[in-house]
Amino acid sequence: MSLAEKLVEELNCETVFTIHLGGLKIPVMESVVVTWIVMAVLILLAIFLTTGLKTQNISKKQAFAELIYEKLTQVVGATLGEEGKTYTTYLVTILLYIGLSNIIGLFGFKSPTKDVNVTAALALMSIILVEAAGIYQRGFKKWLHSFVEPVPIVTPFNILDVFTRPLSLCMRLFGNVLGAFVIMELLKIVVPPVIPAVFSLYFDLFDGLLQAYVFVFLTSLYLKEAIE
Amino acid sequence: MINVSFWNIFFTVLNLLILFVAFRIFFFKPIAKIIAKRQEEADEVYAKATEKEDEAGELVKQYEAKLAEAESEKKQIIAEARKSADGQYQKIVADAKEDAKSIHDTAIAEANHEKSQIIASAKKEIADIVVDATTKVVGSKTGADIDSKLFDEFLGKAGE
Repeated sequence: MSLAEKLVEELNCETVFTIHLGGLKIPVMESVVVTWIVMAVLILLAIFLTTGLKTQNISKKQAFAELIYEKLTQVVGATLGEEGKTYTTYLVTILLYIGLSNIIGLFGFKSPTKDVNVTAALALMSIILVEAAGIYQRGFKKWLHSFVEPVPIVTPFNILDVFTRPLSLCMRLFGNVLGAFVIMELLKIVVPPVIPAVFSLYFDLFDGLLQAYVFVFLTSLYLKEAIE
Repeated sequence: MINVSFWNIFFTVLNLLILFVAFRIFFFKPIAKIIAKRQEEADEVYAKATEKEDEAGELVKQYEAKLAEAESEKKQIIAEARKSADGQYQKIVADAKEDAKSIHDTAIAEANHEKSQIIASAKKEIADIVVDATTKVVGSKTGADIDSKLFDEFLGKAGE
């Protein structure tokens, strides 16, 4: 198999199986299946960490769970501020999901975030959350009015923002994961032993987690702007 | 990869919503609950400690008040004792003085009485002696009465 074929094969998101619902054919893609795996891992981990919680003489497991909870809430809450506290749980969940999805390639799965549909869905949810939060916190009129702020002439750009923001979120994540993947594949072919492992630390692990943070950070920034 | 599929997006959104709900139930809620509970317990312990401290402070105040009371009572008792002792002392001294005075007076009276008795008896004896002597000297009994009278006169003059 040539390099190009191999790359394309790795990049393509296969349809794993198809659900027949009446006359409807619903394809279930690889990324969705891997997402299920990610979800299963996360949920099982959460259940494992939160069993047998006590208020005193806590176990190491509970200390770890509380540490994760506190740190993640703190990281996300720092940008959100006091008014945005409600949205912390969603953003932490997204952070964990993207983080694990980005590094799951290390365990031999295809990262779901390498599929543009997944990042599109994430971005879509983010922008819906941002606009909904804006309407909910400020009221519909004020939300509409926020489009002509600070001066009416920027209105087209503000409207454009609603579309460019999720697009940039979606493409940034997708592009980074894809780029990292392509570079890693090339490195594996050009300098096969040890060296790819070193680069893998950066491209697979660090960049993966960083992109998860960037995605959540930007979403929380938009959220804060929307509810202020 | 780049081909957009509605179902894929749909499934991902669904997955994420499920994951979000599951995480709320299995991760955020229990931990937030346990942290809140611990906070509550800590608050309770703190409140109890404050209460105990207040109680202890009150006890200290009570004891201090009791001590002060005992102190003043002690002073009062001592003062009373001193007062009564002083009174008794005064009374004893006065009694003693009175006794001494009465003894003294009695002694003086007795002495005076004795003195006058002695004087009287002495007078009588002297008179007898003088009478005897005069009788002897004069040698006559007839003039004895006259002489005795004369003698009395003499003595009365001499006694003055």
